[in-house]
Amino acid sequence: MVSSVTDTTIPAAAAGISDIDAARLTLRGVSKRYSADPTVAAAVESIDLDIEPGEFVTLLGPSGCGKTSTLRMIAGFETLTEGAINLDGVDISATPPNRRPMSMVFQSYALFPHLSVRDNVSYGLKLKKISASRIAEDVDGILAIMNLSGLADRAPHQLSGGQQQRVALARALVMRPKVLLFDEPLSNLDAKLRVQMRHEIRLLQRRLGITSIFVTHDQDEAMTMSDRIVVMSKGRIEQVGAPSEVYRRPASMFVADFIGRANFLDAEVEAIHGDGTATAAVLGDSLRVPAHPDVVVGDTAQLLVRPESVHLSTGAAEKSERATGDVGRVLNTVFYGSTVEYEIETDSGNLIASVSDPVAADVLDLQSVAHVRVESDRAWLLPDRE
Amino acid sequence: MALTLDPTSTPTQALTPAPRRRTRGTRRDPSVMIIVAIIVVVLVLLLGLPMSKLVMAAFSAEGIAVFTGMFTNPANLRVVGNTMLLGLLVGVCGTLVGFLFAFAQVRLKFRGKRLLHLLALVPVVAPPFAVATATITLFGRSGVITSSLLGINTDVYGLGGLVFVLTLSFSPVAYMNLKGMLENLDPSLDEAASDLGASKARIFFTVTLPMLAPGIAGSFLLLFVEGIADLANPLVLGGDYTVLSTRAYIAVTGEFNVQAGAAYSILLIVPALLVFLVQRYWTGKKQVTSVTGKPSGRAELITAPTLRIPVLVLVSAWVAVTITVYATVVAGGFLKVPGVNNEFTLDHFRFVLAGIGSKAMLDTTVMALIAAPTAGVLGMLIAWLVVRKLGRFAGVLDFVGMLGLAVPGTVLGIGYAVAFLVPTEIFGVQILPPLAGGAAAFGGGLAIVMVFITRSLPPGQRAGVAALAQINPAIDEASTSLGASGATTFRKVTLPLIHSAFATGITLATARAMTTLSPIVFLTTPGIKIMTSQILAEVDAGRFGNAFAYCALLVTIVLAIIGLINLLLRKVVFRGLLRH
Amino acid sequence: MRSHVMTTAAALGATALVLAGCSSSSSSDSGGGGGSLTVLCTVQEDQCQQVMDTFSAEAGITARYVRMSAGEAVARMNASKANPEFDVVYGGGADNHVASAEYGLLEPYVSPNADVIPDEFKDPDGLWTGIYWGMFGFCANTDVLEQIGADVPESWSDLLDPVFDGNVAMAHPATSGTAYQAMWSQVELNDGDQDAALEYLGDLHSNILQYTKSGSGPGQMAGRGEIAVGLVFAHDCVKFINEGFTNLQTVYPEEGATFEVGAVSLIKDAAHPDAAKQFIDWALTPVAQEIGVATGNFQVPTNPDAEVTDDMVDRGDVAVLTYDIAEAGAARDELTKRFDAEIAPQPKE
Repeated sequence: MVSSVTDTTIPAAAAGISDIDAARLTLRGVSKRYSADPTVAAAVESIDLDIEPGEFVTLLGPSGCGKTSTLRMIAGFETLTEGAINLDGVDISATPPNRRPMSMVFQSYALFPHLSVRDNVSYGLKLKKISASRIAEDVDGILAIMNLSGLADRAPHQLSGGQQQRVALARALVMRPKVLLFDEPLSNLDAKLRVQMRHEIRLLQRRLGITSIFVTHDQDEAMTMSDRIVVMSKGRIEQVGAPSEVYRRPASMFVADFIGRANFLDAEVEAIHGDGTATAAVLGDSLRVPAHPDVVVGDTAQLLVRPESVHLSTGAAEKSERATGDVGRVLNTVFYGSTVEYEIETDSGNLIASVSDPVAADVLDLQSVAHVRVESDRAWLLPDRE
Repeated sequence: MALTLDPTSTPTQALTPAPRRRTRGTRRDPSVMIIVAIIVVVLVLLLGLPMSKLVMAAFSAEGIAVFTGMFTNPANLRVVGNTMLLGLLVGVCGTLVGFLFAFAQVRLKFRGKRLLHLLALVPVVAPPFAVATATITLFGRSGVITSSLLGINTDVYGLGGLVFVLTLSFSPVAYMNLKGMLENLDPSLDEAASDLGASKARIFFTVTLPMLAPGIAGSFLLLFVEGIADLANPLVLGGDYTVLSTRAYIAVTGEFNVQAGAAYSILLIVPALLVFLVQRYWTGKKQVTSVTGKPSGRAELITAPTLRIPVLVLVSAWVAVTITVYATVVAGGFLKVPGVNNEFTLDHFRFVLAGIGSKAMLDTTVMALIAAPTAGVLGMLIAWLVVRKLGRFAGVLDFVGMLGLAVPGTVLGIGYAVAFLVPTEIFGVQILPPLAGGAAAFGGGLAIVMVFITRSLPPGQRAGVAALAQINPAIDEASTSLGASGATTFRKVTLPLIHSAFATGITLATARAMTTLSPIVFLTTPGIKIMTSQILAEVDAGRFGNAFAYCALLVTIVLAIIGLINLLLRKVVFRGLLRH
Repeated sequence: MRSHVMTTAAALGATALVLAGCSSSSSSDSGGGGGSLTVLCTVQEDQCQQVMDTFSAEAGITARYVRMSAGEAVARMNASKANPEFDVVYGGGADNHVASAEYGLLEPYVSPNADVIPDEFKDPDGLWTGIYWGMFGFCANTDVLEQIGADVPESWSDLLDPVFDGNVAMAHPATSGTAYQAMWSQVELNDGDQDAALEYLGDLHSNILQYTKSGSGPGQMAGRGEIAVGLVFAHDCVKFINEGFTNLQTVYPEEGATFEVGAVSLIKDAAHPDAAKQFIDWALTPVAQEIGVATGNFQVPTNPDAEVTDDMVDRGDVAVLTYDIAEAGAARDELTKRFDAEIAPQPKE
C-alpha cells in the first residue's frame, strides 16, 4: 500500500528543487552549557566538524550525548555558548532560526493539525511572498515526488504514520533548504516502515544532493544511510568516519561497543610495526593485528573481534601468527533466521560468535564444546580506555 | 504507532507527549519582545498602578490603625474568622457539588448528559444578587418554599444562606475543572489496577482520587478565594455575618474611610495570594495527564445501581434546587411583589426597559463587547508567552495576569478609584488623565472597561495555558524552521489550534464582565450606567420585582452575546480551517 | 484569512467606539445648549431621573447625575477631592452633609430661596439646605404580629417586649444614617446621655434579628413578613405600602423620634458653580420638592408652600424630638464605634 519514491517518476519540478547549490557547513569549537556552574558537565563540548556539500552525515550516540543539542544549535533553536557555525563561509551563529536557509524534519513530524497536507507543505512558501502560481507548482511537484498527490486535501490525522512522515519531508524539501536537518524522524515508525523510509530518504537525498544532518540513536540507521557518521558521547565527538571505517576501525572501545557488537579480548602489546599493525599476546599466542595508532608497547590493550569474525569449529584450530583460538562451551543460542548467535564461555571470557546461513544440522547444542578461532586480519587492537 | 493530531479535540485531550524544552539560552525573537513589552505596559496599567496606589493608601495613617486594630479589636478578629470560615465551607461544599456533577457526567451511564452539562453551567451567567434575592424569596423567613410550603421558620441570612448561595454560584468552576481532569485520566491505569486484582471501589480510592488530588485541591482553593472575595451576596444575605469584603465596603461607604477600606482589602488579598501561590506550586509539581501520550480509549461507564442511584439522586436534587432558584429569578420579574403579592404584572419590565434601564443595558453591553474580546486576546497572548516563550519570567507573568481574579472585586474597585479618579503622575509629570469618574474621558467608561478586562482576563488565560501546554512545542519550532517569526507562528499556527480555548475564554470573559459588581460600585459615572449597579439599587430599595426583571434581561443579553461571539469566531475568524 | 480577521476586528472596534462615544455624549446632546451640570444624587433612582429631567427642561441646563447611597456619596467626593467630578450633592441626611463639610468638600451657599425654609432645616452658614425631612418610626407587619400574638408596638419601650424576640430589625448605625437616627433618638430621649442610649440599644439587641446594611432594609424585611417590626423612616414604610406590601402599618413611637433632613449642598471647586447654584435655588422651590411625591417618596417638603399629602407625616400628630444636627454629626463616629464594640458582638439571648 505504501508506494515508494522511484527514480523514474521525478517530474520536471524536481529539477527546480534539485538546482540547489549544495552547502558546506562548518562547526568550530561549538559548545553548549546549560549551567554556569563549571562543575556541571557541558551538553556539548568543543565540537569541530566539517560537512561537505551534499553529504549525508549522521550524529549518532546514546541519549544525553549531545547530538540533539548540536542539531538544535545548527538549526538555531539553541544559542551557542561558545564557538561558531558557518554556512558556506558565512557565520550564522547569531542568525535567528527562521532566517536560516535550513529545514527540519521533527521526530513527531509536527504537522500543523489544522491545515491540510497541501497547506502544510505550502506554509513556508506562503511566508516568502512567492506568487500563488509558483507555490502551487512547487507544491504539486514535491507532492508528486513523494507520491502524496492524491492526499493533498486530507488532514494530517487522516494519514498513516509513513504518509505523515513524507508530508513532513515534503514540507521541508519544498523550501529548497541549503541544509536538511533530521531529528530522529523514524523513531515512531514500526520496524518495517522504518527500513523502507530509510531507503526512501537516502534515495531522495542522493538525487537532490542536499547537505543533510541526521540525528539518531539507532546505529542501523546511521550505518545504512550515512556518508559519514559522527559518533558522540557525553558531549564530545568520539569519531567521525565512513560507516565501514567506524565499524572496522573504531577509535575507542565506546565506539566499538556502540556500533555493532563487540568482543574484547585482553592483549599485551609486544611490538608496534610501522605499517599500522602491532604484535600482541592474545589467548596465549602472539598475533600480528591491525592496531590503533595510540597503542603503546607494554600496555594492556583490548583486541576487538566482531562476532561474525569469531569462527567456530568442532576441532581445535591451528595456531599461527595469523590466527589464534580457544575452547569453550556453548552457553546460549539465539536463532535470528539468517544468522545464529552463540555465546561461548571460555577461560578468557565469554565470546559472542555469529554464524550466517546456518544449516540446521550444524547448529550447536547448548553446553556442547566449541572451538573458537580468531583471525588476525579480522581483529583490531585498541587502547584499553573508554 | 503512528501519531495522529486532532485539531478540534477539546483542550482536555492530550495531543502528544511534550518534552520539556530547556528554554534558557533560546533566542530572543524581536517580535516576541515587542509583544512582551506591550503586555507588561497593559498589565501595569490594569493592575500594577491601582494595586500600588491601594497599598500606599492602606499603609497611610488610617490604614495602619486598622492593621494594629486587627489584633486588639475583637470585632475585627471576628470578621477575619468569619471570612475564613466562609471560604472554607464554600470551598468544601462547592468542590463536593462540582465533583458529584463531574463524576456523574464522566463516569456514570445515563441519558441527558448534554442537558446536565448545560444545567451545571447555568450559574456562570448569573448576575450578582440574583441567587441571593431568589433565595430570600424562596427560603427566607416567609419564603415561598420554607414558609408557605413547608411551614418551617428558617433564617436564611448569615453563614448558612451565604454558603448555599456561593456554592450554587461557584460550583460550575469546580465542575469544569474536575470534569476536564476526569476525562483526561488514562483508563489504562484503572485497567492495570483491575488486572492486579483491585475492586472498582478500591481503584477509585487508591488510583482515581489520588490522580485527581491536584484538581480537587485546585478547585477547593479557587472556590475559597471566590468565596471570601465576593461582595454582592454578603451584602444582601449576610445579615449580621460580617466578612472582610463587607467590612471594607462599610469602611468606605459608611465610615468614609477609604484608607481603612484599603487596609481591609489588603487583608483580603493576603489569603487570596497565598492560596494562588500554593495552587501554582502544587499543580506545577504533579502531572495528572498521562505522560505516555494520548489515553487509549475511555473508561467504561458505570451502570451499577448502588452507585448510580445515590449519585444521580443527589445530582438531580441539586439541579432541581438550581432550576427553582433561577426560575424564581425569571418569574419574579413578572410578579408585583415576588413572594408577597404574586399578581402578574409587566410594570417591572417596563421600568427596566424604559429610561435608565435601557441606557444601562446599552452601556453595559457595549463595554462588555469591548472588554471581552480584548480580555480574550490578552489572555491568549499571556498564555502563549507563559507556556512557550518566557523561561524564568513565565511564572511572574502568569501570576500577574491571574491577579485580576485573586484580588477581590472590592479591592480592585477601591484601587481603581484611588488610582484613576485623579490624573496619574510620575514625579509631578502627568502621564495619564483621570480615567474614572465623571470628569474623565469617555465619561469614565475607560476605567470601567479596564476593570472588566482585568476581571475577565484570568479565565481566558487559564484556558489558554491549559490548551497550549498540551500542544507539542515541536509544532512551533516547525513553523519557525519554515521561516515564520514568533508573532506569525502565534497567529497562523497556535491561535487556530487553541481556538476553542479562545472561545471559552471570551465566553467566560463576557459573562464575568457583565455580571461584575464589586469594583463597579466605586466607579459609577453620570454618563454611563451599569446594569449590575442598577440591580443593586433596586435590591437595596426592596424592589425585588425590578431587580429580577433586570437580572432576567442581563442573562438574556449575556447569552445572546456569547452565542454571537461563538458564531463570529467560527464563521468569520476561523473560517477556512479544517473541520473534522 | 488574515484580511478577514482584520476587517472584522476593525468593524467591531469602530462600532464599539462609536457606540461608546454616543452613549456617553447622548445626555449632553439632549436638552438646550445652555451649559451642563453634574449632580451626585442620593435619593431614589427614579426621583433622581425626574428631578434632572425637570430641571433641565426648566433651566435649559443639561443635568446629569450619578446615584449612590448617601454614605458612598461622601466617600466618593472625598476620593476625587482634588478634581471634583460633581457640582452638587442632592439628597441624603444632613449628617452626611455635615461630615462632608468637615472633610472640606463643600462650599457655603445661601440661596435667596432659602429664606422661606425654616431654620431647623438648614445650616446657618449655608453649607447645606434642607429639601425634605422625614420622621423616624416603626414599620410593622400586621400578619406577623398576629402570628406571634403581639400588639402593634406604640413606643420604644414596647419594642423591648420579649414577644418580639428575633422579630425586629434595624440598619447598622455605621452604614446607615437611618439607623443612626434610632441611636440619636435614644440619646435625645435620655437628655444627651450617650451611655443610657447605648444601654437601650443593648437591651433591644436580643430582639434584633439582624442589622441590615441598607437603611430601608428593615422595612423590606417587615414587608416580606420576615420580621414583625422594622425600624425605618416612616416615609419608607409608606412607600412600601404603596408599592404593594399591603400588610404594613406605619407607627410613630409615643416617646418621640428624631427626624432627618435631606439636604442639598454646593460642592467645593465645582466645575459648574453657577449652574450648581441655579440648581440649588430650584431645588428649594415647591415644584422641585413635589417631585418626591410624584415618584412615590413621602418625605415632607421643607418649603412650606409645597404640597403636603395625606401619606406624609403630620407634624402636629406626632412627637418630634428636635436636636442639633451638627452635634449629632460630630458624635457619630464615636457612638458607632462604641456600638460596634459593645453591643453588636454580644450574643443574643
